[in-house]
Amino acid sequence: MKKFGILGLFCLLSVKFAFCQQDLLSFDEHNKYIFYQVVDMPGLTADSLHERGLHFLKTAYPKTVIKSAEGASVTGGGKFLTYGGVSVMRHEKGEIAYQFNIGLKDQKYRFWLTSFVFTPYQRDRYGNFVPETGVDIPLEEITDKLEKKEAEAYLDEAGAFCKQWGDKLKSYMTRAQEEKKEPAARKVVTDKW
Amino acid sequence: MKKQFVLFVLAATFFGFAARAQDTIKTTGDAPLVLSGSVDTYWKTDFSGHANIPTSFANENNSVSIGMVDLGLKKSVGNASFVGELSFGPRGQQQSLPNADPGLVTFPGTSETGVGYSSYHIQNLYVSYNLTSKFNLTAGYMSTFIGYEVISPAANFNYSTSYLFTNGPFQNAGLKATYTFSDKVSLMAGIFNDYWNVYQSGGKVNTFGAQLTVTPVKNWTAYLNVATGPESGTEFDLTTNYQITSAFKLGLNAADFTAGEAYSYKGGFSGVALYPQVAVSKVVTLGIRGEYFDTKAGAYVTAGPPPGESVTGITFTANIKAGPLTFIPEIRFDNSSKSDMFVDGSGNYTSGATQFLLAAVYGF
Repeated sequence: MKKFGILGLFCLLSVKFAFCQQDLLSFDEHNKYIFYQVVDMPGLTADSLHERGLHFLKTAYPKTVIKSAEGASVTGGGKFLTYGGVSVMRHEKGEIAYQFNIGLKDQKYRFWLTSFVFTPYQRDRYGNFVPETGVDIPLEEITDKLEKKEAEAYLDEAGAFCKQWGDKLKSYMTRAQEEKKEPAARKVVTDKW
Repeated sequence: MKKQFVLFVLAATFFGFAARAQDTIKTTGDAPLVLSGSVDTYWKTDFSGHANIPTSFANENNSVSIGMVDLGLKKSVGNASFVGELSFGPRGQQQSLPNADPGLVTFPGTSETGVGYSSYHIQNLYVSYNLTSKFNLTAGYMSTFIGYEVISPAANFNYSTSYLFTNGPFQNAGLKATYTFSDKVSLMAGIFNDYWNVYQSGGKVNTFGAQLTVTPVKNWTAYLNVATGPESGTEFDLTTNYQITSAFKLGLNAADFTAGEAYSYKGGFSGVALYPQVAVSKVVTLGIRGEYFDTKAGAYVTAGPPPGESVTGITFTANIKAGPLTFIPEIRFDNSSKSDMFVDGSGNYTSGATQFLLAAVYGF
């Protein structure tokens, strides 16, 4: 009986956690939203972390624009889509552009995502959802520009994206670049049996 | 009690997974089937006591009337996609579509009555394929590339429509190719059916259409359009939007139309409309549409002033947002160059018409 109670509590906490992804974002010294992490990578040099970081950007987020990959850091920017609605009514509501910085040292790396800018989407005459020209809202101002519920949904999505981005980066940093091996085709010889 | 706990745990787990699934950011892969659209309704009163202004939609006087239910489906897999958009209701049927049901009619030569026509209710029906990341081919029945305003009320700022919109094409069926040279320049060129707004051509596919899209500076986009054919006539059109500040946007539409050379009659129209809009709060935007519309001499008849005359329309509109719902109060003053376009409350011809409307549009 006690087990069920603990399990129920755990599930409730999971639900609460899922709805509060915006709490993953902090403010930096310029009062801008930032997602910041330092990760220890014992036994790995800065060079190998650099190589794995670039591989991560090119593979996991191929549309990322890398501005600089010289020295001990990699910087650039990207964007991701935000969605609204449920089931088949779920569609693009906008996009959030961001800047990233990955700093590299022997046995550790750090990264942060910041300068988030939201651009709402609107449905065009052809039935496609496209960016609304000229409407760029820094995430710090989103609660002033949009209704609270909508703004919080986008902050949640930004938090969730950052966590996903960081988790993926860690998984790429942890494992060496694996060469893609084509699985050997299974052949059956029918004239011998 | 135990059973209740099990149900509770299952429910909480289900909702937990559901909530987490929605937080997953999809960065790759094929988009799911998407359903979107709008629903709109309005009440209008013309100060003369009867409908006067002949532009599209919002034309039923002193009536709580309906626009349409607009349902759009879209699916993309790899480089291929389709859009199918259906509409139901006056705005999406007899007021904008070919072969639409005009209601009960008396059949010619008989005293029998019945429903005159049927309609497929199609706003958009096309397939599209990206040959490369910069080169796209699209074929089917599509919203026109010409003009500032559209049929869907969710994509317009003003609820009533301009003379330029009403008299221009709504849809073109054809095949078009679009090449994106850079994020500042793209070009569309295509071949379309001989007539606008029809599902089937009159036997020819001979209208040439092109659209040059340029973005001279950030937040300013201009579309230079042309559609020309012996039957459809020739329309040159400039449509542009400039978000000058985060709160102020300026739009412009200018067009010139000449009737097709396949006909014995001549004529056409030209006009310009300006759309300044200012967001005064996060839920309220105010805007004006100022339009001048001029008809050319000839036998070509427009939904507007008689040939050789002109009309000026000033429309004050507010968009008040409440989530997906937008309330649109609007007052419109039209004035024609001669006193033969509108009718006053006593049934006499007059040069001016004024109307007020309140519309509600729900977009999803």
